[in-house]
Parts: sequence; structure tokens; C-alpha cells
Amino acid sequence: MSVIRDLPPGADPDVAAADGSVALPGGLSLVAARRVVIGPVDATFALRPGDRALVAHGEAVVRGAPLADRLRDPRTEVVAGPLDAEAAIPGREWTAPPSRRHGDAAPERGELLFQSGGRWRIGTGDQREPLEAPFAGIVREVRPGSAIGLRSPARAILGREVLAGPASGRLEVIAPRDGEVRAPEINVGGAGAILVVGAHIDAEAITRARAVGVRGIVVASLGVKERRDVLASERRGQAAVHGLPPFAILVLDGAVRHPIATPVMAVLERVAGHPVAIVADPPCLVIDDPGMELPAPEPDLVRVLAGPLAGAEGRWAGLAGPHRFPGGVVLEAGYVRFAGRPALAVPLGDLERFT
Amino acid sequence: MIRAPGALVAVDAGAATTAVALLGRPGDRWRLVGSLAAPAGVDAGDLLDVLAARVRAADPALADAIELRPGDLDGLPRLECRSAPARTLAVIGASRRSVAILESIAARTAWRVVGASTETHDPREMSELALRADVSAVLLSAGDPPGPDERASLDDLAGLVGAAARRRPELQVVLGSAIRRRRAWIEALGADPPGSPDRIVDGPAIGPRRQASEGLRSVLEGLIADPLDGRQALRSTVASLADLLDRRIEVVEVGHDGGTRAVAAPGAPGEEPTASAVTTARGALVPPEPDDAIVDGVLAWTTGSLDRHRMGDRLRDLRAGPWSDAAGEGARLRLAAARAALARIAALTPELGALPAPDLTIVSGGCFAVVPAAAVVLAVADTMRRTGATQLAADPARLLGPIGTIEDPIERRALLADIAGDLLVPLGSLILATGLGARRDVGKVGHLALEHDGSTTYHELVAGELAFLDLAPGAPATATLELRETARLGRRTRRVSVAVSGGIAGLLVDLRDIPLRLPDRRDRRRSVLSAWSALAWPVDDR
Repeated sequence: MSVIRDLPPGADPDVAAADGSVALPGGLSLVAARRVVIGPVDATFALRPGDRALVAHGEAVVRGAPLADRLRDPRTEVVAGPLDAEAAIPGREWTAPPSRRHGDAAPERGELLFQSGGRWRIGTGDQREPLEAPFAGIVREVRPGSAIGLRSPARAILGREVLAGPASGRLEVIAPRDGEVRAPEINVGGAGAILVVGAHIDAEAITRARAVGVRGIVVASLGVKERRDVLASERRGQAAVHGLPPFAILVLDGAVRHPIATPVMAVLERVAGHPVAIVADPPCLVIDDPGMELPAPEPDLVRVLAGPLAGAEGRWAGLAGPHRFPGGVVLEAGYVRFAGRPALAVPLGDLERFT
Repeated sequence: MIRAPGALVAVDAGAATTAVALLGRPGDRWRLVGSLAAPAGVDAGDLLDVLAARVRAADPALADAIELRPGDLDGLPRLECRSAPARTLAVIGASRRSVAILESIAARTAWRVVGASTETHDPREMSELALRADVSAVLLSAGDPPGPDERASLDDLAGLVGAAARRRPELQVVLGSAIRRRRAWIEALGADPPGSPDRIVDGPAIGPRRQASEGLRSVLEGLIADPLDGRQALRSTVASLADLLDRRIEVVEVGHDGGTRAVAAPGAPGEEPTASAVTTARGALVPPEPDDAIVDGVLAWTTGSLDRHRMGDRLRDLRAGPWSDAAGEGARLRLAAARAALARIAALTPELGALPAPDLTIVSGGCFAVVPAAAVVLAVADTMRRTGATQLAADPARLLGPIGTIEDPIERRALLADIAGDLLVPLGSLILATGLGARRDVGKVGHLALEHDGSTTYHELVAGELAFLDLAPGAPATATLELRETARLGRRTRRVSVAVSGGIAGLLVDLRDIPLRLPDRRDRRRSVLSAWSALAWPVDDR
């Protein structure tokens, strides 16, 4: 096991430890840490008033099991409400009395929202779509109109955000960690899969992926423009008569293009071919195999998040103290060795390490 | 006998970064020994270890004098403040008009505000908003008596919010006086409502009077009151500092989840100092999910060639990693975002902006901590447009928040008295005058005589100019402006002398318009901004 040792102020980080021991320079704890894999997973699936939960607290569900019926065209209706005062509670499901005439345009059922003027407002709609469990787990909470919580012993790779979803499928890596995927590279072979597409993907490729039945995308960065296109496409899908199959995009890092971090890519490559799921809260890729052995990140590996070296990875070589950087800016810095070259001072804030 | 500690630690656990400062008492008074900051999430103990090691290496005698021993660091007394993430308030009203009034009041608090009215949302959408997990509180209010645009739907809204409060026992509710007594509310909440009864509080009805607005603001701030909150503590410190220095002080702060503007004045003999402050979530450096208005607001202050999409990308990443990209072009982007935030804060605090220029303006916040002092002074001059003269200073060790957590004002003042000289770094002084030269081509409008240390230097004043004059940090001087025509500099005058003090940036003389007028065409605007920023940023390492 490596020994973490403080580097004396002003010391040359390239000088080996005097006692010959294998030592890592100290100060690494001042670098922001990023957990590559988390577990267990506590995922929350948002519900809206009118959606109908199909599971109960404590219930075990398998992957693909229906969690809820979601409304695609939610609206408010005014109804007389339940005859039984015991059932007249906001959040409860309301079903129209059986005595109503056939063909009546009034809603058949809905969720009681509130009572006013002796009548109830309900959340209802005509078209529903199932919300399926993207991974197996135990239902830890059901809050009608608000959320369903699912807990799993599975582990997950945390990302920055998820667009749309949830979705599940087998994981396929189709680009290197610094690659970019364009529309012609997406084909029907990816149907039902969640694709790892490297550093970036354009809006056309996302549209094509959705069209050929891809279930999800894992990408390092997604710009505002592509983000807007995806969300607009999602809204159009919701408004369409038949809806769209589940689809999700997991953005690992942010908006400005970066390669996928090596420790994250190592886990993705290890999981390739296995079933995974993308969920939005927390934004992560769930690895639906708790027993799978995953590669651990090296403790002295650091990655540059911003600046001219953005995306580069190197080895931590100790604190450098305050340094002057372009723009007349003085920042706390750390020494990093990139590919065996002499150590460079990089602002501490521009670095991340992996745990 | 209890021996006073030789050292104490001040921790400002912000939303973006954690700052640790070490105070020592090697003799008979406290001194700032050193400070260090790192991204939020880094343990304050790790920062303290590194800081203490540096002190021991740099000055072993000082470390011994303040009893700074490696094994004892955890036992040092601590002053600690923190910044909790902004919570979301759903503002619900019966009309667009009433929601707009309520939103304008709530915007002057640390709440992140989402509004909904019966004219813009249907009841299911409003229920969805009230049930959202990220919504911590709901504000429902109306006029008393309700306005004609409110009457028809007040019962519906009372029932809606009552039902939401019944479904979410943790939801805080602020009710206008016209709502609480409605039958729809009473019936919706039920006879035995879940949760603590304290979570439902009364607020004043919507009204034209300022007292109603301030009353509602006070109620909303009370819901999120936290004695360890950094921004609340900042107000206490500024009041104590104003009293101690016998000067009127203004603090402007831009943080990750909000901003603050506070003005404090010393009290009359035997009286407490007075302070007014506004904290607003809209003053955040980059609000979550920056929309087009936010992006355009930052673009308006940039000299680069980013388009709206790329600027949106950069701002989203700045929001996600506020500690990163602080050098080079990243520093300029960060300061452009800070300018936009300062402009939002200034727009929300017109009553504080209408006060005379303070003797001292303290600029606080991580976004200002690392950029050149002249750029910070220029950012304040660009956005806080108020005539007069003020000295500017920064709080690089971020001590203002932790010191404000000392409950006893006498104790707080005593500590401030010891470290006042170490606490603030003088950035410079700002003289801002307006009304000089109706047209740009009027040329020279007067001159400025700067008397310092027995010598006088002269500077010709040109209409609309912006100039930095050298004045060493801490150096007191008198600036006398003799003008060819009457101008406004605190008051209308042709000749005025003001006391100024030097700083890292020197003295900034600003004769630009109030409000600042910039060309509409983007290329011309950039050209003007570039010329100004060239005065403040080092040219050799852009």
C-alpha cells in the first residue's frame, strides 16, 4: 500500500524519497475527488399528479416490471368526487361510478387533487404509457403524484445529468474515450442497446440513434444546442399519438467537449455487453450486476478539467503552492506529471482525482 | 485559570469552495496568520494541515508562539459558517399581477423562486409544482380584500395548497391573511393536519405599502434562517466593522447560490450600528439551468467571440465546476459572469443604490478572489453606478462570514479590532462623476489634483473617460476635481475635494454615463469593452 507523505514546501517534486520507499506526494486531498462508482443505488422516478403507481412500498420488482402508468396528456377535470368520505383524500385514486352512461366524455379515473366548492379537481388523461423498472430492486417509497423510489444493491457510474429516460439495455462501446460519433456510424445493430459514444455526439446522430431503436447514449459532453434539440424531440414524442420507446442520454462531464475520464472508461469497457440502465435521479448508469468486479481507479491519477490542458490526465506530484497563471491570476497549484514529462504546475481547482 | 488559546481557525464552507484561515495571537492581539481555499468537498481539516505546515516551515518561531502543533490542530477553536444550497419557493397566486408582485418580493430573499398563477397554469400543473420534491415551501397570498382578478379562484388555490400541505407534511407554507380564514383552506388541510403546525405561517396580504413587502420578505427569510449561514453572518460582521471603523460600509458579494448587498452605518454614541441588507438567489454567479436572459447578460460583458450556444456551454460548466477554469480566458469569463450578477443585484436593490456612496465598499466572493484588483474595481464601477468616492477592499481570507457567527457583538468587535488591518486588502479607490460633457467631443472638462505625501500630481479630465491613477496601497490622499461645468459627484458641484486611499489598483476615475450606455451593435460594444478592460488586465498574458 502506498504511503501518502507531505512534500516539504519548495521541494522539487521530481526528487525521489530519501528512504527509497514507495511514496506518493501529499496534498492530494486538496484536489476535488470524484467517485467513479457508487453503490447501493437509491433511484427516484418522478411522477406527476394523475400518474398511477402500480407498486407498493417494500415490494420487490424485477427489471422491466411496471412501476407506474404515466399520463402522456395530463389535464385537470372537475368531478363530483368519491361518495365515501373515507376515500375523499387528496392523492387517492378516483374511479368514475359504474352507473355512468357509456360514451360519456367525462373521465373514467384520475387522481384526487383538491376539493373546492363541493367538487373535486382531478388529474387525469386519456393516453398512458408504462414506467418500467430499469433495474431490479425494492420499492422504498411511493408518493402519489410526486415520486417512486427504488433501491438496489447494484452499483452505478455517476454522471452530470440525464436527459429523458429512464431506459435500460445492454452496454456497447462504439467509440474511444476521446472519439466523436456521427449519424452514419449509428446502425440498427445498436437497437436495444445503450451506446458509449466517447467525447461528443451531434444532434443528427442522436436523432438517428433514437430512430433505429437505440435505448440510450453515454457521452462525456453535450452542448446546449444538442441538449435543446433532444428535449424538443422528447416533447414532440410525448405529444405524438403513439409516443416513443424509452430513451435516455447520460452526460458524464458537462457541456464543453472533453474525453471520458480513463477510470470511467475502464469501468464502461468492463461492463460492455452486460445489462445497464440510465436513470435521472441521481444521474447515473446503473450496472445491474452487484457481483461484477470493476476496475478501481489509481489514487494518484488526476485529470485536468479546464484550461489549455483540459482533458489531459497525469500523475499527482505534490502541492506547488501559489503560482501565477495567465491573466495575472495567482492560484494554488499542484504539480502533475503528464506522460512521464517533467512536472507542471496546474491550478488545484482545475484538477480532479478519482476514488 | 483558563488560558486563552494561541490560535483559532475560521472556516467558510461555501457552496463552491471551502476557505480556511488561521488566526494567531503571538502577543497581545490576534493576527491573520494565513489562509487557504480549495474546492467544496475538500475537508477543512486537510486544508488546515497544509496551512499549518506552511506556517511552521515559513516561521517556526511564530508557529511556536501561537502553539501550532501538528497533533493539536483538531482541538483548535473554530469559527465556522456555511452556505446551504438555495431552496425553492413556489409562489402561487390568483393572477399574473399578484404573482408578479409576490415574485418581486421573494426575489429579494435567498429563495429560488418559481411562480404559477391560475392565468398561466391549470390546477394540475400547480399541484405538480407544489408536490415537486425540490420545492421546500409554497407562498400563497392575495390582496386584502382580494382584487377583482383574484376573487374567482382564491378558494381553488386555498384548497390546492391545503391539499399539498396535507400530502407533504414537510412542506412549509406561507399564507396571506385573506387565505387562512377561508373555508376551502380549513377543509383541505383537515382537522388534524400532519406535520408541525409551525410550518404554516402567516404573511401579510399583498398591498401597495412598503411595510407589507418588507413584512413578507422578513417572513420568507425567517423560514431559512440559519445562525451559521455565511450571508447572514456577513451582515453582522459588516455592522460591527462599520461601528468599529466609524465609516459607512457597503458589502457586495457574489456566490455560487446567491448574492448579497449590505450597507451598514455606525450608530450614534451609545447606539447600535444600523444595517440594511438584501440577499438574493438571483445574485448567483451562474444560476442553475442558465436561460437565454442569463446567457445574454453575460455575453453583454464579454469581449470574446463566443456565440450564445458556446457561452451557454461555458456557463453550464462554470455552474457545475465553479472552482475550475479560473486562469486565462476563464478568468475573464468568470468576471463577466460576476458583472452580470452584480448588475442583477443592483437592479434588485434600488433603495440601497440610492444611498450616498459609502466610505468603504467591500467586494466579497470567490469569483473576485483571484482576478487582478483593477479588474475587480472596474467591475464594481461598471455595475454599481453611483456618483461619489469610495474606497474598495477585498476579503481574501474570507473571514467576514466566520466572524459574523460570534453571537456577542462586543466579542465580535474585539476580534475585529485586532485583525481589522489584516482582514481587508485595499483594492483602490473609485471616483465616479457624471454629467460632464453632453457630447463625446467636448474634450477636456477639467482636471484632478491628487495630493499625496506633500506632492501634487495633476490629471486632465476628459468627458466620458476611464483612467487608473497610481496610488500606493494604503496611501491616504486628497483628490480635488476642478470642473469647467457643474457635474454630479455625490452632489452637483464644480469643485470638490474627496479623501481617497490607495490600493493595488490605485485610483479609478470614472466619468462615464449613469446608467452606463454601451453601443447596441455587438462589434462596437466589444470594442468599447476591450478598451476599458485593457486598462485593468495585464496585456502580456491574455
